[in-house]
Amino acid sequence: MSNDIIRYDVEEYIEYMRDESRIFGKANSISFPTSEAELKRVLEKLAESSETVTLQGARTGLTGGAVPMEGHVINLSRMARISGLRFDGEKDCFFLRVEPGVLLSEINRAVSKLEFDTSEWSAESMDALKELKSSKGRFFSPDPTETSATIGGMISCNASGAKSFKYGATRNHVESLKVMLVDGDTISLKRGRERIEGGVLRLTTQGGREICEKLDVYKMPHVKNASGYYLESDMDVIDLFIGAEGTLGITVEAEIGLIPKPACIYGVMAFFPDQEKAIDFVEVAKTLERRPAALEFFNCLALELIRANMYKGHLPDIQRIAPVCHTGIYAELHAMDEDSGKGMLEALSALIEDCGGNLAQTWLAVSKHDMERLKEFRHAVPEFVNSIIDDRRKSEPSLTKLGTDMAVPQGFLRDVMRMYDEGIQSAGLESVIFGHIGDNHLHVNILPRSMSEYDTGKKLYGEWAEAVAKMGGTVSAEHGIGKFKAAMLRKMYSQDVLDSMMKIKRVFDPGNRLNRGNLFG
Amino acid sequence: MAKIIVLEEKCVGCGKCINVCPFNAITLENNKAVIGDACVMCGACERNCPFGAIKIERIQGYEQDISLYKGVWVFAEQRGGETAGVAFELLGAARRLADRLGESVAAVLIGDGVSERARELIAYGADFVYVVEGKEYENFSDELYANACVKLAEEHRPSIFLLGATAYGRSLAPRISSSLETGLTADCTVLDIDEESGMFVQTRPAFGGNIMASIVCPARRPQMATVRPRVMKKPEPDFGRSGSTVMFLPVMAGTPKARLLERIQEEGFGTSLSDAEVIVAAGRGICDSKNLELVEELARLLNGAVGASRPIVDAGWIDHSHQVGQTGRTVAPKLYIAAGISGAVQHVAGMSSSDFIVAINKDKDAPIFKIANIGIVGDSAEIIKELIAQLKSKQAKSAE
Amino acid sequence: MNIIVCVKQVPDTSEVKLDKKTNTIIREGVDSIINPYDSYALEEGVRLKEKLGGKVSLISMGIPAVKGMLKEAMAAGADEAFLLSDRRFAGADSLATAYSLYLGVKKIRDYDLIICGKQAIDGDTAQVGPSLAQKLGIPHVSYVISILEASDKKLKVKRLVDDAYEIIEVELPALITVEKGINIPRFPTIEGFFRAGEKGVNVWGADDVMADMKHIGLEGSATWVLRTFAPSYEKSVSMISGSPKEQAIGALKALADAGFMEIGGEGE
Repeated sequence: MSNDIIRYDVEEYIEYMRDESRIFGKANSISFPTSEAELKRVLEKLAESSETVTLQGARTGLTGGAVPMEGHVINLSRMARISGLRFDGEKDCFFLRVEPGVLLSEINRAVSKLEFDTSEWSAESMDALKELKSSKGRFFSPDPTETSATIGGMISCNASGAKSFKYGATRNHVESLKVMLVDGDTISLKRGRERIEGGVLRLTTQGGREICEKLDVYKMPHVKNASGYYLESDMDVIDLFIGAEGTLGITVEAEIGLIPKPACIYGVMAFFPDQEKAIDFVEVAKTLERRPAALEFFNCLALELIRANMYKGHLPDIQRIAPVCHTGIYAELHAMDEDSGKGMLEALSALIEDCGGNLAQTWLAVSKHDMERLKEFRHAVPEFVNSIIDDRRKSEPSLTKLGTDMAVPQGFLRDVMRMYDEGIQSAGLESVIFGHIGDNHLHVNILPRSMSEYDTGKKLYGEWAEAVAKMGGTVSAEHGIGKFKAAMLRKMYSQDVLDSMMKIKRVFDPGNRLNRGNLFG
Repeated sequence: MAKIIVLEEKCVGCGKCINVCPFNAITLENNKAVIGDACVMCGACERNCPFGAIKIERIQGYEQDISLYKGVWVFAEQRGGETAGVAFELLGAARRLADRLGESVAAVLIGDGVSERARELIAYGADFVYVVEGKEYENFSDELYANACVKLAEEHRPSIFLLGATAYGRSLAPRISSSLETGLTADCTVLDIDEESGMFVQTRPAFGGNIMASIVCPARRPQMATVRPRVMKKPEPDFGRSGSTVMFLPVMAGTPKARLLERIQEEGFGTSLSDAEVIVAAGRGICDSKNLELVEELARLLNGAVGASRPIVDAGWIDHSHQVGQTGRTVAPKLYIAAGISGAVQHVAGMSSSDFIVAINKDKDAPIFKIANIGIVGDSAEIIKELIAQLKSKQAKSAE
Repeated sequence: MNIIVCVKQVPDTSEVKLDKKTNTIIREGVDSIINPYDSYALEEGVRLKEKLGGKVSLISMGIPAVKGMLKEAMAAGADEAFLLSDRRFAGADSLATAYSLYLGVKKIRDYDLIICGKQAIDGDTAQVGPSLAQKLGIPHVSYVISILEASDKKLKVKRLVDDAYEIIEVELPALITVEKGINIPRFPTIEGFFRAGEKGVNVWGADDVMADMKHIGLEGSATWVLRTFAPSYEKSVSMISGSPKEQAIGALKALADAGFMEIGGEGE
């Protein structure tokens, strides 16, 4: 290994001291390993001085998880090979082998165009590729908004997205993991192979270390969740590492599932005369026999934001939608053939009309091009929020938006909506609410106009977190905890649960050197 | 009828045609290429088959004695009381083509009180100038101008007819070619005569500028083309040249059904980009529409204009009038600074004749560097900021 | 007012890439879309219909699969659609295309206005509209960016030419080609989708429009593609490295060396 793989001239790498949370940190050194071997040597070198290690992918996270506070930064964006493919006949699934630094956008592009750099692929992989090419089309379903995220980052916070309503979060699509521990030792995990049984974790590392530990199992919320370690008394060990935010080990390789692509996709953007009717629609749509792949919510302020900021000829023209139809729901329908797709569309249309919607004012995307346009429409809300905040930061540099990421169990949707609306109204704050209503998972974005509004918002946010925890919900359903929301995790879990999580942490990283500050603050 | 056939004895089933077919119209059956209904006879397979196994039988539906057609014509577009620059550029090209063919060059001059401008056209290379004059021709009219050109062409039978690919030229030319039932190639960048056949070979960007296509019009005359302004070099005028002016009165000009009511010429509108000596152009790589302010500031400091690539125009960051490229404007400034522009061929088609090109891009492999004189790899916004700072401090110094 | 809108299905050229090795266009995985300019034409037609009554008919020429695009266009407000689809239409240049559309328009018969997009993004020729107008013997106005006044007898439009706007009055029947930015096309609706599904697309072959075979398809095309090749513009570039500040200083110096003294020079 060249000696200069660990860079000490960190002032040249200033952009690696931050992520999308816009928190700025600091570090003594940084490295960009390009292979497992290089990573191992970096870790062995760091072990000599017991330096702490912060892991990074594309730094698209919103919670400061990739922001170093001290020590060394390992940026994994150069371990970015798609290294093989396997077909599992029993599961009828293709598994793509990837390194942590591969971007989601690259995975999507490669899988949809079937273009892979196969120069280092094994014969088995090449056979699987042949098989893939003759199959009807596959895709990797997790779809967080930010497609420039790395797969390593997605695994570390169990990323999801709109379509996880149907297909589940990243967790459901990771078949195997190769994890490097902070001392350079590795463990291989495969779904169904390494198990926790009766709360007892048994594992042997590549280096021969035997791990046998009785874990204190705690109760997790029954919602889409990305807060703290996933633990049940009987489970696959792999699930402990997915969503662990890089605090247990470093993903050096993963196998991710490619599932059959629906042949017929419709994107429906419906508008309703009031929020209650929109929620009525959602509650029934969830129970449809063939339910939508995604259900996304826009409150009237979110739509208002688009109305006020849309520019010519780019986003679908929301000015054509009568202002009284002020609450929007996006539903995406996936079907394996056109007839069944049409059937789903008819059922959904009837429901839209039942709930006060108008089919002549309900957008329908059929072509990929129009699907893209609706996607841009959906993503416009957070983008406009960011640009408003950027403007305000010119006069008040420490201002940031406050974005929630909480989800509640089934049955609490109306309660939580009421809580948000009332809280915002009584505090007199500017806000928009949008997000994954199918999973009872909404993003409230508060746009403070001053630091005092920021403080008010933050207090409100804390109160909501406590209430959501009481409802049995989660403080972070998809963004993770990182450094930003460590205090929120404490509102969600008791000290006992946190102690139990810390015990797990000590099993794999006794020196608390890996991603220190994440999860536990 | 014209048709496409696979010569089965030559086809080895290599599948190359399948890959090159833009319409996914070809499949392999029993190891032979089979051409399906999606085929539009673009000829990609025929041109790319290594074994010559695909043939398009081209039968020309039209019959015409092309030997009767001689001479290279140029439409002398009038604008604002003078001849448009593109007409002189085209005369240069026409002269070159006509000399190769041993034929003459003629200009078509239409307008009201325009005949004195014939002298200039002769100086730039015309042997004849056909003048169509009259009050009714005062303003450009697609109908009247097309009818006059059609009548002229029917009577004098040119072999080649060139028009500027300006707004007027692109609107007028298809009416003429449609009426004469002949071919027309739009937006040519290279014009040539094929040594062997003597055919007029017209080259233009195709498929959004991703590829160049050379097009011929084998059996119909005149062979018509429009050419982008500033693509051909304007020749030096020779006012000693002799040539003749032919007045032409088409029967019954009539009243056009489309009439100009008003012309709104805005100060600096549009032309600023085409005429600018310095252009600072921005592309997607500037990351944020707000960084356009930096681009504007740099352009101001350099007394230049602001250009843009298609993606940021499409994204609504900037008005279409700033777009440089195949679907925007063709420019040829002395200095072109491309900030955050990757250099898609269709953009390059609109600015590659700039004298000096500075490219700033994050991606060191961006194609824009292939045509640049100076390349800077880095964040465009950062580097523009620095350039602005440097220029400002220099200006402050020189003001002292 | 009865309006015919001409639409074309095109590859999304922004996705098209060139295979540098074989010099051919890679269109694998590239989607077919409605020509963007044509979607402005459709929207303008639907708006005129909403104002003046009448109907909007779509006409296109292409392979049978273009029916899907026409249905989507119907879902965005058109009343009926006609597709000229026949192997014998294949290989048409703009002359043969204009002739084929001319036959289609004659068969539709009742029309006051034809609207086309300014040009198609795969060819960028902007020829079919004016060429069709000439064949029909009607006036045309290109590059329309705004319809100022409309009645059953005439239109007053604003159009964009190279360096100016022009206000033009045109008697109907006429053809206009529209610019991007003339409107924001509406999004297809569920209601429109179901309506299109019921109505379907009328497909006409060459015989249905009584085409003269000598004037359609490849045979009727005056122009042929002789060859295609990759554009090449190689220059030798000198790269300037360093911090952004050093790069800026270096660039200005290089400009001064290249003769741009007023930019890079040291001042008076």
